[in-house]
Amino acid sequence: MLGTTLAGLRAHKLRLLLTGLAITLGVGFIAGTFVLTDSMDKGVAKTFARSADKVDVAVLPRGNDSDTVIPEGVLKRVAALPGVTEVQGRVQGDAALVGKDGKAVGDLPTVGMSVPSGRLLRYDVDKGRTPKGASEAVLDTHTAEREGYGVGDAVTVLDRANRPHRFTVVGLVDFGIDPDAAFRGAVGFDPATAMAMTGEKGYKELDIAGGSEGAVAAAAGASYRTYTGDELAAKLAAAAGADTTVIRTGLLIFGMVAVLVSALVIYNTFSILIAQRMREMALLRCVGATRRQVFGGVVLESAVVGLVGSLLGLAAGLGLGAGALGLVGGLSPQVRVEGIALTGRTVAVGLAVGVAVTVLSALLPARAATRVAPVAALRSDLEPGSGRFRLGRLRAVLAVLLGGGGLALGVLGSVVMAKGQAAMYIVAAAGAVFFVAVIAVMPALIRPLGRVAGAVPVLLGGVPARLAVANAQRAPRRTATTTIALTVGVGLMSLFSVVGASGKETSAARLDAQFPFQFQVQPQFGRKDARLPHALATALRERPQIAAVIELREKEAPVGGDDRMVRTVTASALGGAVKPKFVRGSQAAFTSGTAMVDEEMAQDSRLGYGQTVRMETAHGTVPVRIAAVYASGTQLGGFLVPEADFDRYFAVRDPSAIFVKARDGVPASTARSLVDDAARPYPAAKVTSSAEYEESLSKAIDMMLMIFGGLLGLAIVIALFGIANTLTLSVVERTRESALLRALGLTRRQLRRMLSVEALVMAVIGAATGVALGVVFGWAATNAMARDSVFALPYLQVAGFVVLAGAAGTVAAVMPARRAARASIVESLAHD
Amino acid sequence: MTSTFTSPPGGAPASAVPAVVAEGVSKVYGSGDAAVHALRGVGVAFARGAFTAIMGPSGSGKSTLMHCLAGLDTVSGGRIVLGDAEITAMGDRQLTMLRRDRVGFVFQAFNLLPTLTAEQNILLPLDLAGRKVDRSWFDQVVDVVGLRDRLKHRPNELSGGQQQRVACARALVARPDVIFADEPTGNLDSRSGAEVLGFLRASVREMGRTIVMVTHDPVAASYADRVVFLRDGSITSEIVGPTPDAVLDRLKSLGA
Repeated sequence: MLGTTLAGLRAHKLRLLLTGLAITLGVGFIAGTFVLTDSMDKGVAKTFARSADKVDVAVLPRGNDSDTVIPEGVLKRVAALPGVTEVQGRVQGDAALVGKDGKAVGDLPTVGMSVPSGRLLRYDVDKGRTPKGASEAVLDTHTAEREGYGVGDAVTVLDRANRPHRFTVVGLVDFGIDPDAAFRGAVGFDPATAMAMTGEKGYKELDIAGGSEGAVAAAAGASYRTYTGDELAAKLAAAAGADTTVIRTGLLIFGMVAVLVSALVIYNTFSILIAQRMREMALLRCVGATRRQVFGGVVLESAVVGLVGSLLGLAAGLGLGAGALGLVGGLSPQVRVEGIALTGRTVAVGLAVGVAVTVLSALLPARAATRVAPVAALRSDLEPGSGRFRLGRLRAVLAVLLGGGGLALGVLGSVVMAKGQAAMYIVAAAGAVFFVAVIAVMPALIRPLGRVAGAVPVLLGGVPARLAVANAQRAPRRTATTTIALTVGVGLMSLFSVVGASGKETSAARLDAQFPFQFQVQPQFGRKDARLPHALATALRERPQIAAVIELREKEAPVGGDDRMVRTVTASALGGAVKPKFVRGSQAAFTSGTAMVDEEMAQDSRLGYGQTVRMETAHGTVPVRIAAVYASGTQLGGFLVPEADFDRYFAVRDPSAIFVKARDGVPASTARSLVDDAARPYPAAKVTSSAEYEESLSKAIDMMLMIFGGLLGLAIVIALFGIANTLTLSVVERTRESALLRALGLTRRQLRRMLSVEALVMAVIGAATGVALGVVFGWAATNAMARDSVFALPYLQVAGFVVLAGAAGTVAAVMPARRAARASIVESLAHD
Repeated sequence: MTSTFTSPPGGAPASAVPAVVAEGVSKVYGSGDAAVHALRGVGVAFARGAFTAIMGPSGSGKSTLMHCLAGLDTVSGGRIVLGDAEITAMGDRQLTMLRRDRVGFVFQAFNLLPTLTAEQNILLPLDLAGRKVDRSWFDQVVDVVGLRDRLKHRPNELSGGQQQRVACARALVARPDVIFADEPTGNLDSRSGAEVLGFLRASVREMGRTIVMVTHDPVAASYADRVVFLRDGSITSEIVGPTPDAVLDRLKSLGA
């Protein structure tokens, strides 16, 4: 039996390859993910090892709190130890570099770092030298390139209180190994200047040359941990590895989707192959093969296909990983490529997943193979898989239960449950359950769906199109499985785009209704206690063209035991320019001694409507009654108290954000330059228009959709291979039929068109089902997200998915169609 | 049954101008030592409005000849003229058009598309050519072959004889210049076979069709006006006005 199976496989290399292709792509994605992340880890580890080489002993605070620092006293004690030749404390905090436009660069402040001179300098100086004294600085090489600064230039850097200081750039340094510096850019000073600029009270790390670890540990005390140079390198590499774990997990989720689609394609391919080889199977049974042997033969065949597909997949993964690594390396220079890593784990996981998925997918078809009666070898049997599909009782019951369950869960999540994350998880589960029901009933839906999807081609394409639509419907199970593979990818894609579009629409609607503003002035960097000067608001109020200036002030204070951000807005604006949507209570109730909270916060029972909580203020604890609950989702949010109360509770006069509305009739450009002028003296004040704000939001969502689309692309490509596969096998099956048609006057072109239309119909059925599911569950998810969320259907995008899928399906038909058209009529007619 | 044909619509009376002519046609499969000469310089003409049978033992090349005559297969040498068209000079597209517009087929088995109903199968050549269906002609043909109550059935719901009658109706309804039939009764019981042969003969006698039929059955051949005998790829002899016995005798002499 083994020999027979292997001989069969050798004789049908193409068939083997076609079947294995789906698994190759799936395994390729997973292996590629591992190769990419392993290589990144390896590069990072090597870089850290090189840098930590210079350090004999390092001291770090215990625990993971990044705010803990090592005080000067510890450095002094360590420096006094015998054998210690040098100690450098690493200072690291915020020091915002000001760009040539007079505004702080980037969305996050650049990192202020201490750059020591001498042996313990862990960074590479690309140009110039290390800084000395209060008027010298070095810049991160990449930051300097981006901002157009060079050695010898004068630059402005903001200190912790956003006061500007002037420095001369004396060097360009590659801070590459520090992920923070690579991400945000960096400015380096000598340690004392770094301490002054960043406002840090101590060191993040002490690097020591000479001395012994034990002595240093004793001198530093129990609150600190000491590391040798090697240990330090390992620790740093591990910390960076956490980032790659996130990337790996994210990619693997999409890899799973791809593998699921592969499984569907393989299941279908094996089903068709078995159906076509019924005679061969029956012959084997005739000559004495047992059911078990036939079953084993098919399973063995699937294992070989899985193995070959996985091996090719590993090779593909290596290529994919290397390509992605090159891409990542080009985009973010802190990732140093130190060669491609193909670990044993990658090979093991790739092979295991590939073989297991293939064999599991082939189990049902293998069972079908054992049911062949030996006598079937002697009959010229019916066309495999054809005929009307009737839902079996089991399948019907399953479909009703799962479909009903899915819908019920969906209603529960989207309508009944309180809005929020839990409801969205329920909707996601509902989608998954309902999808299984769709898989179960899909064969019964192929005929009606085929009629609808084929209506237009039949109208335009004449006889070949009509034949094609009939062909697409003739083997309902086969078509169903082929199309459902495409449904997975397109469905998820539609879901994401519906949720994304609804998210955009929702936030726009909220802003319009509750917090309309034209400009928003914010501290450039969203640090917890970052504020704007009150003088800026005053200056804006003095301009006659400006109708409203709304200040948002906040202060963190313990409320009912937990630290909460207590906020207030300009009193005159409330109810005027700012119209919160009240869920409970009203603005009238928002009087002295009360607060209002947003919906989300109100879910905390201690902060519910009507509750009284105790809040610690600058002048003792006061009771505050929650007099109203308002809808969340605007710039407003959290625990809001009346402005007069806020003034009494806290000594915070500077706002954390200013919102500006110009008078009617003032042109947008005029208003913009007014606001810009007022903000000019404050480098860390960033002006955004509401249009820009919405655009940046929309861009962020679009970016995410693009990434998802790219990652789901593979699942869609696999599904298209599935279509090509099904068609190829169907073409083989219908060789004589095609020949008959050709004899009766069907041209080659018409034959090719016939197969294209068949592929088109299958692709459109799959994509349309996916879009329908995606839109429905997208609606449910949107509804589950928040009370006031607005559903938006991105018509063009969604229609585009169906059109693209149809076009791609037609492309998938090219090879099978060529093959069918090439066949000789006479030989095909004689073919038995 | 044949009497239901009232007039010979569109058909030309039997005449001296042949419908199909083969001149020095040869066909070689493979090359070198493995070359198989299926046809060796066959020259034969098939009269318009006549029913001709091609006979010969297995491997005599009779099916190959028919495939070449019908434009299904290419020749290695010689020429074939169908009406006024030299089909040996045609490309695939022209051949397809020729088959679609001027040639009808009845095969031994697998004659019908399983996805189409009997009616759709009958009308398939006209649909492919985009030609209008002459409804009265269609009705006449359907009644002759006795398929009126089976038109909405699919092939797997029809008996073998019924399927073959559908194939005959399909060949007739497009009014082709020549109908090629390849062992049309090979898969049928004798009664169904006789019915089918009856239609074929009637369509020649009463509608003026031209039929070329390949068969190895002397009884089937006796329905024809003329029988051409083939052996080892060459025409050896012919009988005009055959009887089953005469055909059988001739076959025996060929060593079949």
